[in-house]
Amino acid sequence: MKEVKILYLYPDMLELYGDYGNIQVLKYRMEKRGIACVVDSYSIGDAKPDFSSYDIVFAGGGADNEQSILAEDLLQYKEEMKVAVQKGVFFLLICGAYQLFGKYYKGVEGNVIPGLEVFPYYTEAIGDRKKRCIGNIVLEVALKKEQPTKVIGFENHGGQTFGSVSPFGKVLFGNGNSFGDKQEGFFMGNVIATYLHGPLLSKNPEVADYIIEYCLERKYGETIALQALDDRFEQKCREQMLQRLLKSKK
Amino acid sequence: MNVVYMILLKCINVVLKLFGKQGGNIIGKIAMKLNPNMLAYFKINCPVIAVTATNGKTSTNNCIGYTLETAGYRVISNKEGNNMETGILSTLIKHASLTGKIKADYITFEVDESYVPQVFKTIPLDTLVVLDFFRDQLDRNGEVETLILKMNTFLKTYQGNLVLNGDDPNVARLGKANPDNKNVYYYRVQKYAHATNGMYEVGEGKFCPFCKTRLEYAYYQYSHIGKFSCPKCHYGEYPIYKEATNIQLKEKTFEVEGITYHIQDNSIYTIYNYVAVLSVMNLYHIDTEDIIKAFSQFALNNGRLESITIHGVPTIINLAKNPTGANVSLRLVKEDDEEKELLFVLNDNVADGRDVSWIWDINFDALAEHKVSRIITAGTRPYDIAIRMKTAGFDSQKIIPCEQLEQAVQELYQTNVKKYVIANYTALQPTRHAILGKKG
Ligand SMILES: [Zn+2]
Repeated sequence: MKEVKILYLYPDMLELYGDYGNIQVLKYRMEKRGIACVVDSYSIGDAKPDFSSYDIVFAGGGADNEQSILAEDLLQYKEEMKVAVQKGVFFLLICGAYQLFGKYYKGVEGNVIPGLEVFPYYTEAIGDRKKRCIGNIVLEVALKKEQPTKVIGFENHGGQTFGSVSPFGKVLFGNGNSFGDKQEGFFMGNVIATYLHGPLLSKNPEVADYIIEYCLERKYGETIALQALDDRFEQKCREQMLQRLLKSKK
Repeated sequence: MNVVYMILLKCINVVLKLFGKQGGNIIGKIAMKLNPNMLAYFKINCPVIAVTATNGKTSTNNCIGYTLETAGYRVISNKEGNNMETGILSTLIKHASLTGKIKADYITFEVDESYVPQVFKTIPLDTLVVLDFFRDQLDRNGEVETLILKMNTFLKTYQGNLVLNGDDPNVARLGKANPDNKNVYYYRVQKYAHATNGMYEVGEGKFCPFCKTRLEYAYYQYSHIGKFSCPKCHYGEYPIYKEATNIQLKEKTFEVEGITYHIQDNSIYTIYNYVAVLSVMNLYHIDTEDIIKAFSQFALNNGRLESITIHGVPTIINLAKNPTGANVSLRLVKEDDEEKELLFVLNDNVADGRDVSWIWDINFDALAEHKVSRIITAGTRPYDIAIRMKTAGFDSQKIIPCEQLEQAVQELYQTNVKKYVIANYTALQPTRHAILGKKG
């Protein structure tokens, strides 16, 4: 039986927007296909995990208070994270975690929270606390070189991220990395870093399957053709949302 | 000038009534336009009691009013739940004389969490009850912590009665906001049969608000509500004013200080609200006999744990506007041994919060094991909730998403199995009406 191991970072602190759903979706889609899915978690006070021994590292978004507590803890693993990314471990980073893996986060008062510097982008809070990028968002994403696909989610962030040299997607509806941006997130073969909640994978089974396929091919060194699943609900959900959001723009 | 405004506003109110409109907070909105300081116009000579929380405001406020009325007092209250500044203003205008005098023995308000400082800057507050703080429509309200800090700032100079849920670490911390206030009262509920050792549903109070240490729990009742304490600074160890014991959900009874109270519903979270009401009643020396009588009769019947029968099929309808609201409803489903079917109506209108990710914070585990045999989903986002339930392990063949509410209700009553209906904010009344419409 094939197996995929996921490391879930700070599950008790980065858990504000239902991002854990991403792991549930991955697990569901693997188990339906007879692939075992093991989920370990790491939080403050736990023994140092061997990041490179996992297939997927996942982290989500949290409350400001929690995020500032854990940023310090996370920094001690700066080098290990870089190595894991280079080795090809898949990183799925949502919202707050997306920001933490960049160069820095500059708060409203100009205070700088250093990031892990694994990726080249940086984030700056917008001066007006009440102004945030909030709402449904649709991206056009090219996961592999082939046919692009539409990705649907919900963004809710005050931070504006700049310097994402290779964005996750082109914005068809919504804001993106900053107000009115044309681009959203950060992407390279084994990294998806994005502001999209929803949770992201619940409405985008293609993205979930891309991650699963990537992990299996890397781990077992063979070409994987994933068995199709019954995605009626997902398809209907996407149809309904795309119809609503992309039509409303015109 | 204000007298002229009052005449005008009361006339508008009469006209609205003629057209069969409740008015809601329209009167208050107009009043604020005429005079932004209108709240200061009213001469209030009776105690004002206010209830605030994320969940349970309407039920608790209504129960306070009902109990006081049972004891023979004249009560003015925003019963319909218009709980922002304009709603409170509307209530006062409707019940005041033209000169702003209010004849009542008690005024009780439910107040939106974020409006407490604003409203009671002007109106004298005698007792404030805080029930709970949960995550709620994050895209509209922001983080819970921001709300708590705002409330804390307001309470720093507050000297009145403060009735706090001693089992909610986010609420109990407010008791330290003003060390000079000697009128802080904590209530709690003793461990009930379905309490757990670990957190079963999503919650907020994981770290001590005073020293940031991880809180320790003897048990969780639901979400983060339970017996907690801080191992470092001992936050959580305070004298308890009223404690509910011997919780019997099937029999619908609980005890406080050896007296048994019968109630109309059977949920752990409403027991908390009853103890809050009881604490308030004790502060005003209301007769125990009157409390017993009021509690045994009180039922809101507006979709808050409402029990109805549709052609012989028992149906329970409950509002769930956030994860905890839904989780406590699902607790009822799981605690019920009978076979049942579920209707979940999820809207994403502005008042609901556009973001539906919160449904992933609902614990849908083991529904089939708890004898849920079929699930219908509806609302503006029927597929999101269907995906959620499927991912939690419920057989997708037994999930029926419906884009039309009428179609969903039709589908629901295809069988005679007991029904549980959960609907979020703007979905509740349309769902309730669609179901009551079946009654014919
Ligand atoms: Zn402490």
